[in-house]
Parts: sequence; C-alpha cells; structure tokens
Amino acid sequence: MSSENFDNLRLELRRGGLVLAVLAALHSEQYGYTLRKILADHRIEIDEGTLYPLLRRLESQGLLTSKWREEQKRNKRFYKLSAAGKQILEQLLTEWRTMDSSINSILKEYGHATSRAVLAGR
Amino acid sequence: MQLLERYLQAVKFWLPKEQKEDIIAELSEDIHSQIDEKEAELGRKLNEPELESILKQRGRPILVANRYLPQEHLIGPVLFPIYRLVLKIVMLCYVVPWAVTWIALLIFNSGYAAKFVGHSWFEALGYLWASLWSNAFLAAGIVTLIFAILERVQRKNHFLEEWDPRKLPPVHNPHVISRFNSIVELAANMFFFVWWTAHMSSNVVLNQPNLRISLTPAWRYFFWGFLLVSFVNIGLAAVNLARPYWTARRATFRLVSDLAGSVLFCWLLKANILVEIAGASIPAAKALQLTAAINFWMAKMFPAAVIVGVVIAVVNIFRIVRVAAPQAHIPGERAAMA
Repeated sequence: MSSENFDNLRLELRRGGLVLAVLAALHSEQYGYTLRKILADHRIEIDEGTLYPLLRRLESQGLLTSKWREEQKRNKRFYKLSAAGKQILEQLLTEWRTMDSSINSILKEYGHATSRAVLAGR
Repeated sequence: MQLLERYLQAVKFWLPKEQKEDIIAELSEDIHSQIDEKEAELGRKLNEPELESILKQRGRPILVANRYLPQEHLIGPVLFPIYRLVLKIVMLCYVVPWAVTWIALLIFNSGYAAKFVGHSWFEALGYLWASLWSNAFLAAGIVTLIFAILERVQRKNHFLEEWDPRKLPPVHNPHVISRFNSIVELAANMFFFVWWTAHMSSNVVLNQPNLRISLTPAWRYFFWGFLLVSFVNIGLAAVNLARPYWTARRATFRLVSDLAGSVLFCWLLKANILVEIAGASIPAAKALQLTAAINFWMAKMFPAAVIVGVVIAVVNIFRIVRVAAPQAHIPGERAAMA
C-alpha cells in the first residue's frame, strides 16, 4: 500500500517536472526519439506513450513548433521551443526554484532528522 | 515488418480522424528508430520474437491511442460526489423498500403468494432477484442519464461554481433536538390524550341515533395502553423542550415508548376489535358485512405496520448508538447544548 502511495505521489510530483525537462531540452531542435535519449541520459525516464501526447499538447498551446524533415532517409518530426515557450519556461523555472527553496527552508526549520541529513549532505 | 504494420493499423483505428496520419507517421518513425538502434547493437536484423517484445513493451494499441485522445468523462469530479449520494439514496429508498415489500407480500398476502403456488421458494427468490436487478439497473440508469445531462449543462454554464458561503447549512449536531419538533410533539400528544380520554374510554366508541360502533371488551387494554404511551410521550416532549439534546437515557425511553406504541398498534390490527356497526339506515346484513370487511382490512395492514414498526425501532437504536458513541467536538456544539 505504501509503495502504491509512493508511486502515485511520485507520478504527481514528476508530472510538472517532466514538462519543464521537455521544454528545457527543446532549446535545441530534437525529434522524439533523440529527445527521449537526452532525457534518459539525464536520468529522466519517460515512455513514448507519455512523451508524444505531451509534445502535441505543448505544441497546441503554442509553446513548441514542429516540422517534418528527412534525415537518414526517413521522415522525422523535429520539435523546438517557440518564443512563447521560452518565455513560459523562464517563468516556470522561477516558480520551480522558489518552490525548491521554500521546501528546503521548511525542511530546515521543521523537517525530521532524515530530511535534515539529506539537506546536510547536499 | 508485417507485424509492425498490423500494430500501427490497430493503433490508427482508435485515433481521431483528423490526426490519424500525423500520429501514425510519428509513431512509426519512433518505433523504426528503436528497431534501428537495437539492430545496430546486435549487428543483425531483428527476428519476429524480438520485434514482438518491442511492440509488447509499447503497449496494447487501444491504450497507446488513448493517450492521444482528450480526457473524457460522463460525470466529472464536480458532480460525481452528488451523483454517488443520489445513487445511494435511490438504492436505499426505492430498491430496498421494494424488495422488503415484495418479501412481506409473499409471506403475509395469500392472494399474492398464490401466484407462486407450484413453484419452490428457490424459484420465487429467483423471480425476486431478476426483478430486483432490472429495477436497480433502471433506477441507476435514470439517475446516471440525468447526471450526464447535468454534467453537459454544468460544463457550459458552470452553474455549480456560483455559490454563497452564507447559504451553507448550519453545523449539524445529531445530539440537538429541534425545539419546534418538541413543541409539535407536545401539542399533538396533549390533544390526543384529551381526545382519547374524552371519546375512546368506552368500548362503545360512537353512540348516535343513526350510528353505533362497538368494540370488543379487549378494547380497554388498548385504551389504557395508548393512553400510557401518549402520557410518556408528553413527558418526554416536555423534557426535550426544556433540555433540547439527546442523552442515552432519553433516547432509550423514546425507543421503549415507540416500541410499545408499535406493538399495541400491530396487536390492534390483528385483534378483530370491531364487534358491531349498527344504524337505522344500515341493513343488518350490510352492517355485518361492513364489520367483517373492516376487521379483514385491518388484519391485512398488519405486515405494513410491522415494517413501519421495525423501521422506527432501527432509527431509535441508531440514535442511541450515535448518542452513546464518543464524538469529536463540533464547533458551536457546546453552545447549542447549553
């Protein structure tokens, strides 16, 4: 039960983080497969069933642009951060850093011993 | 690669029409990239089981397609708690009483039970089970349909988002007795007590020149019994008015008084209490027939009276349990009980 709880909470926690990671990785043009590789190299595992619908959603919100281009004899769809996407990414990163700093500050003041040990080791 | 084509075709089937080609082209490219990478790693073409394993890891076609579809629901999170509550109420107030009445009819009503003559109890219960399910499905279906329509309206109008905190109901305290209820109960019981004493003390309850109604001598037990119940109820209502919150002792008194009233009433229905109806304008044979018919229909009402009595007892027992159970403090509770 506690493992199931952890999985659900982890999923919730990751959801926003994944959007940030995808937007951050698309400062340079990538197609789906290479984007997934880049994220995996940075220890962010994301399955294609999550990534592609997310890319489409972000594109429909105007945060990404995409175009089909032939590469290595195959048509691939390349995604890139749009101007609006860059702006939103900056705002989201500010929000992320504020949240991170607030949580650290709460943990420093009220957190249990384990959390303090984790913070001390940072 | 025929397996891959079949996989893509299966995914394509579930995709929205306007995006089918685009999504499939991208998905196909992604799977081909994965296959290329695997083949480069192995230094050979993939065999059928290896391709099968890649597709299995991707997931069932309908689930893969589903991730591209907009999130849809029949009843959304705003209306769902209300829907669930209404469904429970419908099941409790319609289906359960329906089943209880059906069983009571089968046991106590010989005319109804005659329909099942020649059938075993098992067959009769099978009939009940089938009817119960069709009734339950119909009731649940109607409620679901209404809420599905409400959901569509709510999505357009957002009517549930408009609310006023001042219109919230007051804090509910199950221990508190409404003073209005106590006053009504007190007045009704006092009226009953006076009327009962004045008009029902003799077993000739009506003695007019054109109509005379007589009851059996056993009537005196009912007369004193109902008078006593009424007297207890007057006392209880007066105490409840002065101290408007339930205690375990008073809730037990209410249970005993209600049980006594229910038992007396059920007994009265079965007692063939009416002896004679006579009147100048009523022929003797007709009067006799009328007396028998009233006694007969009173006896017929016995099962319904038993069910009502049981429901009243259950409500009273529930109240005793709730009053006796330790409760978390409700803000304003002490002020209300003071």
